[in-house]
Amino acid sequence: MSGFRIDNQGRIDRARPLSFTFDGKAYRGFKGDTLASALLANGVMLFGRSFKYHRPRGVMAAGVEEPNALVSVLRGPKGDRSRFTPNLRATSVELYDGLVAESQNRWPSLRFDAGAINDVFSPFFPAGFYNKTFMWPRSAWEKLYEPVIRKMAGLGNAPSALDPDHYDATFAHCDLLIIGGGPGGLDAALEASGTNQRVILIDDQDELGGGALFDPALWSWLERTRAALAASPNIRILTRTSAFGYYHDNFIGAVERLTDHLTVVPDGPREKLWRIRAGEVVLAQGAIERPLVFDGNDTPGVMLASAALTFLHRYGVAVGQRIVLMAAHDSGWRDALALAQAGVGVTAIVDVREHVAPQLIAQAKEAGIAVHFGASVIGVGGRHEVRNVTIAPNGGGGPATIACDAVLMAGGWTPSVHLWSHSKGSLKWDANWGAYLPDQPNENVRCVGACGGAWDFGAGQSVAALPTPKPLHKTKAFVDFQNDVTAKDIKLAVREGFRSIEHIKRYTTNGMATDQGKTSNLNGLQIASEALALPVTSIGLTTFRPPYTPQTFGALAGHMKGGLFQPTRKTPIDGWAEANGAVFELVAQWRRARYFPQGSEDMLAAVNRECLAVRAGVGIFDASTLGKIEVVGPDAAEFLNRMYTNPWKALEPGRCRYGLLLGEDGFIRDDGVSARLAPDRFHLTTTTGGAARVLNMMEDYLQTEWPHLDVWLTSTTEQWAVIALQGPRARDVIAPLVDGIDLSPEAFPHMAVREGMICGVPTRLFRVSFTGELGYEINVPAAHGRVVWDAVMAAGAAHGITPYGTETMHVLRAEKGYIIVGQDSDGTVTPTDAGLDWAIGKKKPDFVGKRALARPDMLRSDRKQFVGLLTEDPNDVLEEGAQIVADPAQAVPMSMIGHVTSSYWSATLGRSIALAVVQGGHARMGETLHIPMPDKIISVKVCDTVFYDKEGARLNG
Amino acid sequence: MANMITDALACARYNLRARDAALLETVTGLNLPSIIGETRDGVAMLGSDEWLALLTEGTKLPMGEGQPVSIVDVSDRSVGIIVEGLHAIDILSAGCPLDLARWPVGRASRTIFELVEVVIIREADTRFRVEVWRSFAPWLREALKTASNALTA
Repeated sequence: MSGFRIDNQGRIDRARPLSFTFDGKAYRGFKGDTLASALLANGVMLFGRSFKYHRPRGVMAAGVEEPNALVSVLRGPKGDRSRFTPNLRATSVELYDGLVAESQNRWPSLRFDAGAINDVFSPFFPAGFYNKTFMWPRSAWEKLYEPVIRKMAGLGNAPSALDPDHYDATFAHCDLLIIGGGPGGLDAALEASGTNQRVILIDDQDELGGGALFDPALWSWLERTRAALAASPNIRILTRTSAFGYYHDNFIGAVERLTDHLTVVPDGPREKLWRIRAGEVVLAQGAIERPLVFDGNDTPGVMLASAALTFLHRYGVAVGQRIVLMAAHDSGWRDALALAQAGVGVTAIVDVREHVAPQLIAQAKEAGIAVHFGASVIGVGGRHEVRNVTIAPNGGGGPATIACDAVLMAGGWTPSVHLWSHSKGSLKWDANWGAYLPDQPNENVRCVGACGGAWDFGAGQSVAALPTPKPLHKTKAFVDFQNDVTAKDIKLAVREGFRSIEHIKRYTTNGMATDQGKTSNLNGLQIASEALALPVTSIGLTTFRPPYTPQTFGALAGHMKGGLFQPTRKTPIDGWAEANGAVFELVAQWRRARYFPQGSEDMLAAVNRECLAVRAGVGIFDASTLGKIEVVGPDAAEFLNRMYTNPWKALEPGRCRYGLLLGEDGFIRDDGVSARLAPDRFHLTTTTGGAARVLNMMEDYLQTEWPHLDVWLTSTTEQWAVIALQGPRARDVIAPLVDGIDLSPEAFPHMAVREGMICGVPTRLFRVSFTGELGYEINVPAAHGRVVWDAVMAAGAAHGITPYGTETMHVLRAEKGYIIVGQDSDGTVTPTDAGLDWAIGKKKPDFVGKRALARPDMLRSDRKQFVGLLTEDPNDVLEEGAQIVADPAQAVPMSMIGHVTSSYWSATLGRSIALAVVQGGHARMGETLHIPMPDKIISVKVCDTVFYDKEGARLNG
Repeated sequence: MANMITDALACARYNLRARDAALLETVTGLNLPSIIGETRDGVAMLGSDEWLALLTEGTKLPMGEGQPVSIVDVSDRSVGIIVEGLHAIDILSAGCPLDLARWPVGRASRTIFELVEVVIIREADTRFRVEVWRSFAPWLREALKTASNALTA
């Protein structure tokens, strides 16, 4: 009934006692214990409540395959709840002084859980019950059934605080990666030691040894081997490291746990993600023992035979004092005999087989252990801990009850082929093992030891569920302990018509818990095979998927949080904006000044002031984020002709053109003003957010469609800082600064580019305007951007120069009807829709998107077309995205004929303006339309998109 | 030697493209490496038709007008970051997936550091030069320093 510590057993350090709490109660353990072993040593049998039925559960295994004993651990200083981790296996939690652990999924307490009512009503909760039971009334599902079911079922509580820990990551390369530090892996490492090979050896335990850790006969070999490997300069050893996934071309993901075992959380990373590329991989992951399926096999105190051996030899804990072994395999006998030899009381061995090796029988008898053959456990007495078992002969006949305080199960062994399967290595059924073994590799990988089938555990028999005289529906014989799936559920799935294991798995959820079926997959297969009367190999095997064991989000996210989440790209002028009170916004990855509030101005006041200042005098704007591409080569013009809608060949060097870029589908993708600097050299611009995308698209065409063209593309976005100067005083401001360029309107017309010097720095000076005013864009090499900005500011002071941000830029261009790709267009707008027919070169034989523009659907007159809107009440500023209707009295659902794409208060006009796309918009000039808002309906008149200076005279200032 | 992450001195940078390497050599007067990944006299061959030239600050190359070449001044586009020390490879391996330990001195490649595109050149056994676009440099310096701190923690 109560476990206890055995002297002279275990690898724990008795000189280092530790204190910890579980559910608020204080206990003692030793360094080297896990939470599970320490609690068992203290006589604790009850660890948790099962997922669905809330049945009391104890430890079933000793390793990562443990399905029941899921606990929550709170690390860190007292009172700090930010390091709360749920759903940890107690068998994997290394004990440290001051550890605080709690059980899960129970209320009000572990011993008296109200949720156990589910166990009473379990006939109503078979597999797939929520498709059958709680279906009526439908309305009750959302408000009642689902929330209640979610609250009742479930494991731990999700943490609610931000994760305060850091997580490190690295790539690593090696010639040989050995996954698993048991005898098989250690042998492989020894073989490679002292060679030139770069070797990495990983093991998920705190010390190397694997299965040898609970085989004292191997301990001196283990010491010698570990010392030899530690002395080997070509071998990197990573302990507390789990290889969770095996990816293409020998790429392995692993997480190294650095601090979870420490009492005081140190500075530095909590975990480290290893991304390893290996020349060869050796898998040495061992095998996992199978439980047996019988009524009551989930009672606390029922566990794997090898777990009992591990608790004895590795941790010095006896799991019981009157133990009964239920065996289908010789290994169980060996474990029981080892327990008996160490002085642990073993009462009886029950074997489902009629015949067992005589030596084992003889040893058992010598140890005073009663033996039963051809019999099975058909029931377990006790609810919170085992009190007895009832056994019966397989063929029928009188049951007998044996008093006991622990029941061990020896159901055979399943090689761990998870990572092998991730790598798409094939599997072959082995009747002796009753399991799948690795067959043909798909990568440069081999399996050694038990995981490859190269281990002698002895002989055994594969069974589905143990024979029982009880009718199945009266038994609770568990297959998947974590998801509460019983043998009954699997047979139900088969009765309901599911034939493939993939369906049976999903219908019953067998193998779908956080343990991913480590102790349930094969038993589930055997039961299904029996129910279907088909061999196991024809039912299929479910797919193994990473991660092998649950991993933290933190380890996978690594640095991608806080300051390193994403680069925030800043221009050379950003520092000035910050020092001058700019309010910023993010555009793609760039930080851009949105407006420059003065005094107590809000955004509207600042923008109004900036807009008026630009049109009345001169404004200065940082346009450095615009994408820039240098297109160079004899075929440069030919290439651009094919990419853009516009004609480029006749463009003279020194002139600029607005370019429109479509996709093959004919829809607008990007735009920008571009300059021809020489017959074979163009300086293209793109939108800020489109720079990378446009370059990729162009490179795609160049490399795959026209590889013979002599033209090359170079991104120059960051080579040039761009200072936009806009307003009637713009020329006056830069005149004294510019050298070698004739700024007079005759020599330097609108849409032209000149090369020269500004403030002693080489410049490409563009005369272009996105505001409709006289304007320039001063391109200087980025290192000089700030200096030139400062000089222009100084020179402009006498002219009342006003810095403005992206918000003002948006308003000013909207007053002139210039579209912003991605705001006024959404990937479904054609040049004609946007009123940009003039940008299409009508005589060009072809360009990207040309054919699509000829499709009938693209020529319809009722397409959504780009128009201006003026609200009836000039003070109404429309909401961007608002839907437009023709008849405000129409019943819902109303016919939506368009939406508002851009909307602003225009200080220049003293009223609101808006741009929109409306069905057949071009033919609706002067028409009144309506915009239903939650509180009122706003009437608007459709108008031209140019609200200000329709003739464009101000450009020629 | 302690690990150091410092900014490289300013230099001239040119992106050189051509199908015909010999023509490019004639136009620029430079001695171009002929194997992808090699460097010669400050010029790295990044691709079958692409070279990155890192030259003395202020160097001006001819533009090759009319020739089937592309010579573009990108001096201000990038900054150079020097990662030096016994752990230089480990620091870079925190974010770069290449097997830098197997690089001979003089090897170069365009690659990534986590999310950011870089060009890495092995200048010496324990010294690497990382070229990165100007606006990504603050993030990269921070990421390299974080990696360096974690190694010496």
